[in-house]
Formats: sequence, structure tokens, C-alpha cells
Amino acid sequence: MTSPFRSYPGMVGGLLLLIVGVAALFGPWLAPYDPQQFHPQVRLQGPSAAHWLGTDQFGRDILSRLLHGAPSTVFFGIGATLLGVAAGTIIGVIAGVAGRWVDSVIMRIIDGFLAVPDLLFTLLIVTILGGGMGHAMLAVAVAFTPGMARIARSAVLSIRTREYVLAAVARGESSVYIVGREVMPNAMGPIIVEATIRVSFAIMIGATLGFLGLGAQPPSTEWGLMVAEARQFMFRNPWMVVVPGIAIALAAMGFNLFGDALRDSLDVRRSH
Amino acid sequence: MTEFTVYRRGFMVGLAATAGILPGVSLAQAGDPVRGGTLRISHSTRIATLNVLTLSGPAEYPVIDMVYSGLTRIGPDNTPLPDLAESWEASEDATSFTFNLRPGVTFHDGSPLTAADVVATFEAILDPDIPSAARAVLTMVERIEAVDDLTVRFHLSTPFADLPFSTAHANARILSKAVVEGDLSQIETTANGTGPFKLETYDSARIVRLVRNENYFIEGKPYLDAVEMHLFPDLAAETVNFLSGDVDVMLNVQQADYDRIASAPGVNALRVPSGRYINVVMRQDQPPFDDVRVRRALAMAVDRQLLVDIVLEGLGRVGNDNILSPEFQFYIDSPEIPYDPAAARALLAEAGYPDGIDITLVASNRPAIRGQVAIAIRQMAEPAGFRINVESMPHDTYLANVWMQGNFYMGYWGMQPTEDATFRLLLTSDASFQDTAWFNAEFDALVELGQATVDPAERARIYAEAQELILRDVPYIVPFFEDVLTASRSHVEGWTVQPISRVFFIEDVWLNRS
Amino acid sequence: MTLSYLIRRLGAVLLVLVIVTFAVFAVTMILPGNAAVMILGEYGSPDQVAALERQLGLDRPWYTQYFAWVAGMLQGDLGTSLRLGMPVSKVVGDALWNSAVLAVTALVGVTIIAIPLGILAAVRRGTASDLGIGVLAYVGTAMPEFVTATVLLVLLAGPATGLFPAGGYVAPWESMSGYWAHVALPAITLGLVMTAHISRQVRSEMSDVLSSDYIRAARLKGLHERRVIRRHALPNSMAPAVAVISLDVGYLLGGIIVVEEIFAWPGLGRTLIYALENRDLPVIQAVTLVLAMVYALTNLISDIVIALLDPRVRYD
Repeated sequence: MTSPFRSYPGMVGGLLLLIVGVAALFGPWLAPYDPQQFHPQVRLQGPSAAHWLGTDQFGRDILSRLLHGAPSTVFFGIGATLLGVAAGTIIGVIAGVAGRWVDSVIMRIIDGFLAVPDLLFTLLIVTILGGGMGHAMLAVAVAFTPGMARIARSAVLSIRTREYVLAAVARGESSVYIVGREVMPNAMGPIIVEATIRVSFAIMIGATLGFLGLGAQPPSTEWGLMVAEARQFMFRNPWMVVVPGIAIALAAMGFNLFGDALRDSLDVRRSH
Repeated sequence: MTEFTVYRRGFMVGLAATAGILPGVSLAQAGDPVRGGTLRISHSTRIATLNVLTLSGPAEYPVIDMVYSGLTRIGPDNTPLPDLAESWEASEDATSFTFNLRPGVTFHDGSPLTAADVVATFEAILDPDIPSAARAVLTMVERIEAVDDLTVRFHLSTPFADLPFSTAHANARILSKAVVEGDLSQIETTANGTGPFKLETYDSARIVRLVRNENYFIEGKPYLDAVEMHLFPDLAAETVNFLSGDVDVMLNVQQADYDRIASAPGVNALRVPSGRYINVVMRQDQPPFDDVRVRRALAMAVDRQLLVDIVLEGLGRVGNDNILSPEFQFYIDSPEIPYDPAAARALLAEAGYPDGIDITLVASNRPAIRGQVAIAIRQMAEPAGFRINVESMPHDTYLANVWMQGNFYMGYWGMQPTEDATFRLLLTSDASFQDTAWFNAEFDALVELGQATVDPAERARIYAEAQELILRDVPYIVPFFEDVLTASRSHVEGWTVQPISRVFFIEDVWLNRS
Repeated sequence: MTLSYLIRRLGAVLLVLVIVTFAVFAVTMILPGNAAVMILGEYGSPDQVAALERQLGLDRPWYTQYFAWVAGMLQGDLGTSLRLGMPVSKVVGDALWNSAVLAVTALVGVTIIAIPLGILAAVRRGTASDLGIGVLAYVGTAMPEFVTATVLLVLLAGPATGLFPAGGYVAPWESMSGYWAHVALPAITLGLVMTAHISRQVRSEMSDVLSSDYIRAARLKGLHERRVIRRHALPNSMAPAVAVISLDVGYLLGGIIVVEEIFAWPGLGRTLIYALENRDLPVIQAVTLVLAMVYALTNLISDIVIALLDPRVRYD
């Protein structure tokens, strides 16, 4: 394995992730204003010395809102992906290891769910749950689960017949040991690569749900919602749309680039 | 003008109105109306049904206003005008009303309109097995009788001076007897009315196209050959589309876009003061709003002028918790409620909350104004000790889980045509949407009395007393009244909108291409 | 390719669809609120809601509704839309047509543009054009559709430029020029993401092929580079490209939801959102089923095409 930072995409991706990560971890402390505080005298203004990125329709400071929104936006993506990956990996490993009819049944059901496009699936679930950030995260996680299960299963299958696994079986090791010590560490590569790239999808689906009124809700500072709310005012203050729009794109691009670089360095082939 | 003379006047000017010149609509400087042309209207909510008995969509109302006629309709000065009834008379005690129908009116399918159609329609509206929105304003109707082919008489169980307003209700349009007695589900997608336009195309996902009714009962009207309603679900796209000149009328303009649209070349923007309002619902049968001091404290913690400035962009008027706006005939001027967080805090302490209150305010995300007002109230009420957590949610979730159930949420209502309709919608103990648990027998009695009273001076006194009770007990916070905003291209003549934002008189609209 | 393989695959598709119908029915049954509440909205009093529930049959127990739905389905009757009062087959059928027009336009456009771009990037690996295409691809995949659509709307449909109408639908068989004008912006919005995705995949496949032994052998034989690419590299990287395109159909089916909403395109996506908001169960079920069916069939067709393109693929 070579370092993913060796390549340009990896470097750029890493740099973007660093910026986004700092914003997500320390954003709320870096913000110059309370993100909810009104400044009615300076509504809908462009960048100025007092408000570096301008103000919104209530005169709230856009920079402060952006920094406060970073944790919720980024952790939404990571959280949804982690949940989806965890559930998917467990299902996929069970299918891959158990084989036979268990595998067939699980895979038929997985195929059924995979036949419903991600966004559609998310929409159905989030409508049941009733919208909101937590529910949207859960919905994205559920929507990711079948795809991740499939990848985990194929990773397991490709390893199951390797010598070291066969050797462990011959030694008479327990199946828990084999899965935990031999199969999982070697199957993690493709799963991690896929997960990194999916974080960017999750961030974008989250933003789209915000646009549809089903994701984060006002007065949240989640970036997708910031863009969605700003569309009404985009002719009066374009900064309101541009700033969070670019932030989303940078975060998504960071995860995407880094995921690709990771794939190259781990030499993982396409995994569907 | 008084209520009683309204229908007297209606009786006398029945024929004058057929000439079609309406008060407030000046055609003088525009030259003589020209026939022809297609009026393209854009709107952002779906015309999901043509079911005139139940529909309630903002874009559905204008369609049925064009396709159907009522016995009466509401004019620009908020009084009932003749429509299918060319005149009407009430008994002295206002318990029986006789409507005289216009002769020679035909439905779009060619069949003549008779008293039997009117009776069948109102019987359907009053049938509890048929969902119909107009029933709420007609509950006092005991019996409808066809006196002869062109005369209908309403017999009421209690006196009701406002009946000509009720017969103008948007969902009380006259259907033909054959339709009512046939398969009623037909009216979801087809329409056989007596209005100025006939339905040609109904595609709810895209366009509704109406064409001129050559046999419309007002001679020479309508001027337009056709009207098209184009659906644009996205407001940004709708605005761009209107400004590019692809449609002639934008049905509803958002406050945020109004200035930009009004200043665009070739556009007439129209702003009509209206009684449309946001109301903050505070349920009184549970703490903390069971104490009037808490409600009053919150009322003092709302900066109404600031709300008008930043949420309505100045396109509205401050409200002071009276749900009647100045457009109403019997409105009383309510005292200004100044923004005073310190006094609010003191009052809250007096009510037993010296450390303030933590509470969740729910707002549906449609229209966006509900959430905006909620967020603003949260900021404004904070120094008064109200730590409000705003919870916005999709409108469907709100309807299913919060509306009529929650204890603190944002309501949003259009203007009703009468005092009686407004009170019975929300505030009487048996109101259709009684969501405050403000059960006040004195208020109920006053509303009953006002409904039955014919003398205008007496009614003014009764309704004033009822409003005093509202101001005293603060069942709702009504921070402002929102103007109705619409816009048309400058070649469109006669485009108007009424304060109740419903009746459009589109038969008077014409296109001035010269 | 054998007949039994085809039959097995079709059987699998059928099984998948049955699972989807069960899942969808279960999902729609637990949605909070019902159509009567949503239809009457804030003007619906309890007695009116009750009357409407009786009229729509929503007062029946869930299993009665379920069996009525299944029985209807088996006879090819998808039921009546609760909100629109029209047969579901008409509502969904019209929307399917309109969405298909948009999706096919976007897909064809993308295929024509993305594959040459990917090949160009692979052939000119490491040059400025490779870098440019790569940057474009990353930016394209990192923008949510509603942001792209908004930007396009302001730049290309605003009164300033007025190049395209700001939304609406004209079928190609009604007016060809009207269709092109209206389909342009939504198709571009959908196409950006897919172009990015597909060109990236084609580039990576093509790069692999170009560095493979048989290409090196072909070059060593002294073949002209252009001939090497056209006769040897291209055919071998097409199968993965088809696989990526078929995967992107899944993206497309989700993407239309947002794009149709913004550009007032009367297709399946908007129909679905509207049905969800109104708890219009028969429509939700039909749309989901149609989308799943389209997706499953696309995958099947792409597998067959891949098998035809690439004789190494075996069916097991």
C-alpha cells in the first residue's frame, strides 16, 4: 500500500478534508457571532468588515452560520455512512460467510431493495419518520445498507477461498475467529474506500432533503438548508446561495477525491 | 354601508351589476375593452381537483371562479353582489331569504339553469355524507325550496343576516341537478358550470385551459378567448418565467420578490391590504398558557413592527391580536401592543415563572412564512424569558401530528368574508377549528346574537363587545396582517384581486396589445 | 448466452418486484396521517374528514385495503388516485412518458459526450486536457442537483439572457423546437453529474486497457496508435462503460425527483413527491413499482449487452 497523499487528487482531497474537518470540529468556537442573532439594520448584505461573508434575510452573519453548520453537515454525512456501513457489513458478512440458502435469501431481499433508487428509498423512509435531521440520517443509512451489504459480501467471497483462510479452517479455528481475524481485516479495504466516497453522497442527499423540506429544518444551520432557504433571496444577496453551495461542493469533493486516492493506493478494483 | 342595506341594495342594483362595471375597476384610461387573446397565469400549487364542493387550493379557487357561478359573489368592497341571483329579499327577521334567478342562463352543456339545480346543489352541500366545505357557513339552513322555476327560498332555523355572504362561499357554486344526482365523483375532473369560461383541458400536473363561454349570461363578456393556468412548483422558476414574459399574470408574488418584480419594466404589481394573518396558537387547557398573564407576556415580547419589516418586507400591517382586520365592517380599533421585553419578563414572574419558560414552538414549513415568524419570535421573546425551541416540520407531518393537537404552534389563515364566519371558524366553543380551548360562554352568546341581529348599529355594538373579549383574553397572538400580492404584465387590463384573495372577475380582464 | 440464463434472470427480476411491492405496501401503511386529512388540509373539520374517509374507503381495516389492492393489481387495475380522483394508470402512465422523454434525452446526450471525454482523458493521460476533464468531473459530482439547477436557471433562463424557458413541458411530438427548448436545462442538470461519473469510469477503464499486454503487443507490431485505440482498446473498455451507464440509470431515477420539481416537468418524480405529501397510497405504490421495474430491466438489459460485447463474461 502506498500513501494516498502521494497523488495530486489525494493531496487536494486531504487538504479539503482538513479544512472541512477543522470547521466541523472547531467551527462553533471560531464563529464571530451567534449564528441565530438578528442584525435587522444590515439585512441581505454582501461581505463587509463586520460580516466577512455577508448577512442573510434576518441580518444573521453568514460566516457564523456556515461555521456552526459545519458539524451538523459533516457529521450527518459521516454518521449516516457509518450506520449504513455497519449494518451493511454485518449483513454482507453473514451472507458471505454463511453461504448456501442464507446467502440466497439475503441477497434476493438485498436485490429487491437495490432496485429502488437511493433518493427514492430515502424519501419513503423519511416521510414515514416525519422529516428532520436525525430521521434523514437514519433514512440515508437504511438506504445505504443494501449496497454496502453487497460490497461486503463480495469482498468476503473473494477472500473466503484464499490460502490463509483455508489454513485457518484446516486448523479448526472457530468461525467467529476466522471472520474476525482473517476475513474482516482483509475485506475492509473495499469497504473503507466505498464508505469514504459515500460520505459525499450522504452530504448531498442530506442537502437535497433539506431542499425538499424533509431534512434539516429551520433555524438549523445545516448547509443544504442554508442554500434552500437562500434561493428565495438569491437575487438580492447571491452570497447567501453561493457561500453554502461552495461549502457543500468542497466537502463532497474532498471525500470523493480522497476516496479515489485511497482506492488507488489500496489497489481496490471496482466493487460492484 | 350596512348589512341590511347590502341586500336591499343588491335587490335594487341587480341589473346594474350585469353591465359589468365594478367599483374600483377603472377602465377609463385603458380605452375600450378589446375581445380576444389568451391570458396565461402562472401559479405554484397544484390544481389537484376540480371538486367544487371540497377544493381549497390557492390555484383551484380562481379556476372554479371562472367555470362556475354562485347565487352571489363578493365584490371588491367586501359586499355580496348578484351573480346567478339577480336579486334577493329577506324577511324582516332574517329567517327566510328569497333569491330571484336570472332568466335564460344555461350550463356549459346547454341545459337551462332552474331553481331545481340550485336546490339540488345546496341539498348536496348540506348532506353530511358528502364532504363539502361550505356546510360550515350554512348550518342554519333548514330547508331550501323551489318556489317556481326561477325563485328559490331558504328557510333558516335561526335569523342570519349574512346569508348572502354564505351563498357566495367559494365552495357553494351551482351544479346542475343531473350532475348532483349522477356519479358525483365526476366533478373531480370535469366541470359543467355557468361561469364565463368552459373547461377545455385539465392536466393537474401541468396546465388547465379554459375557453370562452359564448353563452355567458353577462352580454359581451368575457373578453378573453381563453385562460391558461400554468403550474410552476418552484417559486424561483416561476418568478424567472414571469419576468421573461412567458406568462401574463403571476397569481401570487412572494414578499421577497415583490420589489424586484414591481420595478421590472412592463409589469404591474398589485398589492391589496387583506385580513390574511399568522396566528400563534397557545392552548389554554394546559400550562403554561392556561394563565392569561403568560399569553399577555408573550404578546408583549413580540416586536410586531419588526416582523412586518423583515418578514413581510413592509408589505403588511401590524396586528394587535384581534383576528379581525380593518377591512371588516364591524372591526374595532385595537390598542397598540408595544414591544416591551422587560415588562413581559415581570409579568411572567408574576404568573409564577420568575426563571422564564422553556417551550417548543412548532411551525409547518409551508408556506415558509410560518417558520420565519416562529424564528423571529424566538429571537424577540428571548430577553423576556421565553426560551423557545423552534421545531419546523414538513407540512404533511404537521397536519397529521400537530395541527389541532399541539399546544404551541403557528397557524395561518386567509381572510373570511364576515365577522361571523371568522369567529365560527376558530373562536366559538363549537368552532370548526377550535384549537385554543378558549371556551367562553359570553363570547359564544354574543356571536349567536350578532348572527341573528339585523339592525347594523346593534350588530356593531355586539361585535365590538365580542372583540373586547378577544383582546382581554388573548386566545391568539396575531402579529400582523399580510397584504395579498399579485402581478401582471402591463398589457393585461382589469386584473384585480380581492382582500379575501379569491374572487377574480376574470370576465372583465382583457389584453391591450395596442 | 443461453435461454435458461435469460429465464432465470427474468425470474429474478420478477421476484425482486414482488419483494418491492410488499415492502412498499408495508411502508405506505405506516405513513402518519391519511389522504382525507391531507386533501382537506386546514379547512377540513373532523366530520368532513370522516365523510371523505368513508368516500375513499380509508375507514376499512388495513387488510381489507391490502387485499383489495392486490386483487386489483392482479387484474391490471392499479386503482384510483385518492387525491386526483383519476385512474392511477392514467396519472402514472402520463408521468412515465414525460419522465422517459427527459431521461432518455439526458442519457443519450451524456453517452455521446461522456465516452469521448473519458477516452480523450485516458489517451492524453497527464496532459492539461486530462486535468481539465478530471476537475470538471469532480466538480460535477460534488454539486447537488438543486444547486446546479438553480445556477442554470439564473444564468440561462433569467430575463437577462432568456436563452431557455424557465420550465414547463413540451412533448417532442407536439413541437420539436418547443421540446428542445424546454428539455435543455433539466437534461443538462441531470447530465452534468452523469457526464462526470461516466467519463471518469471510462477514463480509468481505458487507462487499464491501454497499459495492458495485448495493447503493448499491438503497438509492438507497429500498428498506428489510432488503429490500436479503435480496434483494440475501445471494444474492450466498452463493456464496463455500459455497466456504469446502467448503474447511472439508478441515479437518474432519483435525480428526476429534484429536477422535475424545479423545472416544472410533469414526470414521475414530481408525481411521487406530490403523492407522498398527500398520502396518495395507490400512486405511491404504482410509482415506486414502475421505477423499480425500470431499474431492474435496465440492469438486465445491460448485463445482456455486456455479455454480447465481452465474450469473456460467463453466465452463472
